[in-house]
Amino acid sequence: MEEYWQPLETERNDVEEKIGVYICECGPNIAENVNIDEVTEVVSSLPSVEVVERHKLLCSEDGKKFLKNSIQEHGLTRLVIAACSPKQHESTFMKVCEEAGLNPHLFQLVNIREQCAWIIEDKEKATERATRYVRAALRRIPYHRPLEKREIDCNPDVLVIGGGITGIETSLLLAGPDRKVFLVEKTSSLGGKLREFEKLSPNMESTERLLEQKIKDIEKNDNIKVYTDSEVKEVLGFLGNFIAVVKSREDDEEIEIKVGSVAVATGFDLYDPMKDSRYGYGKFDDVYTAMEFEKMNLDGKILLKNGQSPKSVAIIHCVGREERGYCSGVCCAYSLKLARYLKAKLPNVKVSNLYSELSVPGKVYQKFYEDTKCMGVDFIRAGGIEVEEKTIKYTTDDGKGKNLPVDMVILAAAIQPTGDASKLAEMLKISLDKKGFFTEEHEKLGPVSTSMEGIFIAGCAQGPKNVVDSIVQAGAVAGKILSSVIPGKKLEPEVRTSEISEAFCVGCQTCLEVCAYGAIYFDEMKRVSVVNEILCRGCGNCAASCPSGAASLKHFTTTQIHQEVVEALR
Amino acid sequence: MNNGDVLVIGAGIAGIEASLLLAGAGRRVYLVEKTSYIGGNVIKYEHVFSNMECATCMVAPKQQELLGNEDIKLLTLSEVFDVEGSSGNFVVKVRKRARYVDPVNCIGCNTCFDPCPVSLKNEFEEGLGERKAIYIPCAGALPNVPAIDPENCVRFQGKDCQACKEACMFDAINFDEKDEELELKVGAILVATGFSSFNPNKISQYGYGKFGNVYTAFEFERMFASNGPTGGKLLLRNGQSPKSVAILHCVGRKEKGYCSAVCCMYSLKFIHYLKDKLPEVKIYELYSDLCIPGKSYQKFYEEMKEKGADIVRANEFSVVEEGKGIVIKSTLNGKERSLPVDMVILAPAMEPRGDASKLAKILDVPLDEHGFFREEPYNPVATPREGVFIAGCAQDPKDIQGSVAQSEAAVGRILATP
Repeated sequence: MEEYWQPLETERNDVEEKIGVYICECGPNIAENVNIDEVTEVVSSLPSVEVVERHKLLCSEDGKKFLKNSIQEHGLTRLVIAACSPKQHESTFMKVCEEAGLNPHLFQLVNIREQCAWIIEDKEKATERATRYVRAALRRIPYHRPLEKREIDCNPDVLVIGGGITGIETSLLLAGPDRKVFLVEKTSSLGGKLREFEKLSPNMESTERLLEQKIKDIEKNDNIKVYTDSEVKEVLGFLGNFIAVVKSREDDEEIEIKVGSVAVATGFDLYDPMKDSRYGYGKFDDVYTAMEFEKMNLDGKILLKNGQSPKSVAIIHCVGREERGYCSGVCCAYSLKLARYLKAKLPNVKVSNLYSELSVPGKVYQKFYEDTKCMGVDFIRAGGIEVEEKTIKYTTDDGKGKNLPVDMVILAAAIQPTGDASKLAEMLKISLDKKGFFTEEHEKLGPVSTSMEGIFIAGCAQGPKNVVDSIVQAGAVAGKILSSVIPGKKLEPEVRTSEISEAFCVGCQTCLEVCAYGAIYFDEMKRVSVVNEILCRGCGNCAASCPSGAASLKHFTTTQIHQEVVEALR
Repeated sequence: MNNGDVLVIGAGIAGIEASLLLAGAGRRVYLVEKTSYIGGNVIKYEHVFSNMECATCMVAPKQQELLGNEDIKLLTLSEVFDVEGSSGNFVVKVRKRARYVDPVNCIGCNTCFDPCPVSLKNEFEEGLGERKAIYIPCAGALPNVPAIDPENCVRFQGKDCQACKEACMFDAINFDEKDEELELKVGAILVATGFSSFNPNKISQYGYGKFGNVYTAFEFERMFASNGPTGGKLLLRNGQSPKSVAILHCVGRKEKGYCSAVCCMYSLKFIHYLKDKLPEVKIYELYSDLCIPGKSYQKFYEEMKEKGADIVRANEFSVVEEGKGIVIKSTLNGKERSLPVDMVILAPAMEPRGDASKLAKILDVPLDEHGFFREEPYNPVATPREGVFIAGCAQDPKDIQGSVAQSEAAVGRILATP
């Protein structure tokens, strides 16, 4: 039988290692399926093993007390526990280590329950496997290094990019005496797209009144500094410690702002129907986009090019849907609103809505649709739409070709990301999806977070949605920031991070390409990659991709894994 | 002095997310949950759209974090029955029913189930499977501590049975535990009680309850679930696999008067479920209007369609028996169609929970015309009563992403209030 292990000289230190091994019976779960005495016998004879004990239930209050006392009594330097899944109790036992004065990373939890006792019927085979796993852990653990907790200061202030309803809401919720908000808006006034709508569906209430109140609240809030006619030029740093450069378009002045988190609320642009000749936009007179019509309505001038009022109007849904590849979610609802504008302002006008699928989710919109229908608006399910001079050609659901003569055509165009989204994404090191919207951290559980800690997205910048949902997301950003970037609180970043050996790094920058968190930067002077330990989440991608072995993940080094695997297979 | 503690009612995904964020901000949270487990409806699904992630794996880290967080006092088997006071100073009375199993001693080995003499239909499994009087709702449910159902346990009906206690090696069972009434002082209340499913037996034309092989979406979810009553096997009542399945959308939409927003998406998800287990199965999806808003949902629709399903518009469905099988009759543009299938899955509307009105009265907040909690205009997490907030499907039918965003927004409001 070969030598048990030969630790590298560089890994040994002069302290005599005393490793404690504790095997949990987990009631009958492990005890009945694994011969713990046999495991104990094999393991006791291994180098540096000071003590091997068994316990009925290590995670119980009694078990934890027993562990703590035993660690201290025997003066243990490293700890191996053979029990259940790390997911279940790794953190439990790490806390015990801390309380006993042992660095929690000098501990390995071996899963002999889910990965052994619960899946191997034959007791002899299960015992052999459990022994193997414990041996492997014992071979790995001398290579564990003590890792220390880190604490960093954080700046509670927030940069909000975009002064539409989403940015406004986020700012109002976040601003306070110990948290300043810097709200940067590209145009010369706050309000975003809402400035161009007379009313909002489904309440059909005045947008101006809503915005006016919100903007007044912003103006009288001393903790919100607004920069209009300004753009963010650069953002450096990381969670709790960002530096942003804001440039004013008026006087070219550049201002440096220090914040702890950033909220992107840059909104949307409307799809340009010029791209699809079927809709006749730009070709025939009196074909307008929804935004153009909103403006007409707001100005009180719903008129044709010839100066007369339209007698018949068609609103075409889903314009640009095919090309964009998604349903914008709001157009059916706002098309109903536009129909109502027409019916209210021009009582005898004939209004037809041409749609393919009517999308009115939620508790209020179906009634909004039905009531709109009752006002005399025609709803026509239409395919193969072709807009011609004062006529719309279309095909009905049962394949018949029809002509609809109209004075005016309104195109309900898709919602798409703003033109500068990609520039902003690059600046912030966050990603865009295939449609150009900012990517959230997790589709279900992280709708407003991004892969960059401290950078959030909300509103239509994240995806097409209506005003209420944008307000919700603004609130969500506030919730995330208020619960994590707290004045006076220190942030504790991940401890099991990657490190890159300057000596071995060849400067190929493969690691930068594979890092999803922007946690690696290239030092141009030394021509080596360096890990930002605050941003690093310990995923290991860089260590796995590094061709020279310079990048390694703490607590999962090649040596540690190799030793464990070699012993597990021996 | 305003109380910073928060009461969260409902330990589904919205309640869990809110509790974790609030605790992260240093607030103490009382999380009151009516059932014996956390996770709400999300843990009933095998996968979630559109990334088709395993639902239980997705929420497990949050659940574990919640259970280990000392600032969150989880009160399961509990209900709020009285609320007094005002924002910053609420006094809440909670009735905590006895679990009869000590969570400190119990290790979740499940040895107590086998000896229990009582077997009944498991509500979590939508009646497709059974449970004992001492039970956990499904494998993997958290906290991993059984509860005794006193209404069905024979000991509580007067018989002298101790089978579970005798089987327990950790002395975790205590028949003498009593229901408790607790008084909690909190500054804010968040209602995240979720939703119920419309019962299709109210509409006889769907054949639910009439024909054995007509299932609701939740029943189908549990059938497909690997921890469910069939271990994931898709079976008809006669034990055979279906060769053709129809999924009917918008069940109850007309009756309820609104679109439940998620059914088209999960019905498409079912195509994946079916093709995964039965690659040759013929699938029909019958819908009235396809509702797939958002940047990623149309792509999901196209991917599911490509797996091989007939997704067609149809109106006025009725499910009838013809010979030994089921036929779906529908009309489109005046033409009648007949579709023979082995199995029918109904996508019923999302509706408010049956106890929503009782809770609304206790909290003194209004419900809207559909029975959902009513939000303030342009302030979707606020109710007219200051200090009482709402999030998730208790307020309005929505998907998980919407519920999580809304619960985070409610936390934003709570933390922003001095």
